[in-house]
Amino acid sequence: MFLKMFFKEMKDSFRDRRTLLLTVVLPLIMMTALVFYYESLLSDDEQTYNLAVEKGTSEEILSIFSTENFNFVETDDPEFAIEEGEAHTGILFDDQFTEKVETHQQATVKVISGDSFSQNASNANAQVMAALQQYEQAIVNERLTNENIDQQLMTPFQIEQEEITDDNAGMALLGTLIPLILVLAIGIGASPSASDLFAGEKEKKTMEALLMTPVKRSTMIMSKWLTISAIGSITGIVTLIVVALEIQFMTENLKDAVASTENIGLIIGIVAGITIIYATFLASILMVTSIMAKTIKESQSYSTPVMMLGMFPIMILTSVGTSELEFHHFVIPILNIFSSLKELLVGVIDWEHIFITVGSNLIAMIIIFIIGRIMFLKDKWVMN
Amino acid sequence: MIEINEVTKRFQDKKKYVTALKHVSFTVEEGEVVGLLGENGAGKTTLLRAIATLLHPTDGTIKVAGYDTVKQPNDIKKKIGVLFGGETGLYDRLTARENLEYFASLYNLSKHETKVRIDELTKMFGMRDYLDRKVDGFSKGMRQKLAISRTLIHEPDIILFDEPTTGLDITAANVFRQLVHQLKQQGKTIIFSSHIMEEVQMLCDSVAMIHKGELIYHGNIEKLYEEENNEDLNYIFMSKLVRGGSDYVS
Ligand SMILES: Nc1ncnc2c1ncn2[C@@H]1O[C@H](COP(=O)(O)OP(=O)(O)O)[C@@H](O)[C@H]1O
Ligand SMILES: [Mg+2]
Repeated sequence: MFLKMFFKEMKDSFRDRRTLLLTVVLPLIMMTALVFYYESLLSDDEQTYNLAVEKGTSEEILSIFSTENFNFVETDDPEFAIEEGEAHTGILFDDQFTEKVETHQQATVKVISGDSFSQNASNANAQVMAALQQYEQAIVNERLTNENIDQQLMTPFQIEQEEITDDNAGMALLGTLIPLILVLAIGIGASPSASDLFAGEKEKKTMEALLMTPVKRSTMIMSKWLTISAIGSITGIVTLIVVALEIQFMTENLKDAVASTENIGLIIGIVAGITIIYATFLASILMVTSIMAKTIKESQSYSTPVMMLGMFPIMILTSVGTSELEFHHFVIPILNIFSSLKELLVGVIDWEHIFITVGSNLIAMIIIFIIGRIMFLKDKWVMN
Repeated sequence: MIEINEVTKRFQDKKKYVTALKHVSFTVEEGEVVGLLGENGAGKTTLLRAIATLLHPTDGTIKVAGYDTVKQPNDIKKKIGVLFGGETGLYDRLTARENLEYFASLYNLSKHETKVRIDELTKMFGMRDYLDRKVDGFSKGMRQKLAISRTLIHEPDIILFDEPTTGLDITAANVFRQLVHQLKQQGKTIIFSSHIMEEVQMLCDSVAMIHKGELIYHGNIEKLYEEENNEDLNYIFMSKLVRGGSDYVS
């Protein structure tokens, strides 16, 4: 009986074009977009930036920036050009900049920053500043040489920077990207069936027809829950397969990063396991929101905020480095999915963290399932 | 066959209590066709749900074929078929056949029994042409035939219809009326709710009139005409409300 219901519900769900679209096509699109975005961030090809300069700025001055990848946008009003989005950043030189520099007068140069929220604008800005500093240093060195002073006098020490996790930058990026998409995809994939299987059945009165059969209510709720879990899991696994294939066949930097990670097979296995556990946990939550609702629409209005809540951990965790993850990051459901995957994807397998994550999700899932079951046994929640 | 004994049903809606049924008692004999009459909100659906074991009475008991609705719901479920609304309770993404097969399986019918039953129902309702099409594109009339077939899939002796013709066009409503005739000839016990007096007049042996949760009349329809010296059920219903005092008239 249980299996009959389960198979019928799976068949029914997958005949819904929304489910098909959301479980397969959407993860495909989201993942492809993100994989390529991160690949482009990792790649060494330097981006070229548009730099607004005043018309008539001499070639000699512009040669300051020749080593950088700049396109010059000559304009009467650099600020306007930036506002219009024609340039990432702009620069205004003193009228007699070269003369002043040569005659040891203080010259001025004004750097106009673009949109501070734009990654491109701030990169462009940083490169302009770097070029100017280099140029400044060159002038200082020249002057010191002219005065017969040792250049080292002006540079008491050299700063060398080294980022310890730099090797793993690729995986660290994946560690924030994959959980986000996974959580989104599972939520979006499972929610149509969740709202269909309870609220939808109430709305269409198939629920009453079901209740009139000798099937036990506990059997019904188990089969419905399993359907939602299965669809969530399928979405999650499809998403993972898509990333894996795309990284393997369509990227170079990410592929190298993955290949250099130890135990990659085991890590992928654990990630898949956690994905399924999370899908069952989310299925319980979506099930309760659907039982509470009288119509599909109402159910969606409950489940949307729940899925939004799932996005919060991203905000908490983006500022936390992998090595800073603590106990509580692995205890709180949803948050711990992000923490665990983040850790796993930089190649760290910490069994304690994994068990805490799985355990806390299972416990939360069971508690929520029981709440749903209690509700489903009450007539009030079963019939409109 | 159906004994309704002093049934009261109270709902708690937020902090407010709604009494949907007040001390309702009547019996329905085997093979009888009963029309349940009442305005919107009178308590018809609540009463049918209680008979169908889907709701437990707050007070009183209901026995169907000798079984108690609260204590032995599963014995009753095998004997009873219920259709709430005229064309509802179908899965749109399944074909007509799949809908029937699914419910047959939930009633534990064997593969063979299911096939035979679906054949019978298909013939009875003339559904051959669209049996393997998805319900999604069905007209209301097609849906109604399928919904009724689903209700009858396990050959119930007792059939409850809640407002079966509401929202249907005349042709579909007539299909239902013919069907009730047919089922009556097969000796089925039928209760259907309606607010269409003509329909009840046409099909029923007896009527039960409910108003605001109270049973204001139950009895043979011919006898009622005699007593009232009138054959207009609409008129009788209204005059009963008036005679019942200001409490009845809304
Ligand atoms: N689940 C419920 N919770 C609260 N009130 C209900 C519920 N079901 C029905 N009622 C109330 O009981 C009364 C009778 O409803 P119902 O049986 O649906 O009437 P009818 O089918 O005759 O239109 C109405 O006032 C309705 O609001
Ligand atoms: Mg009703």
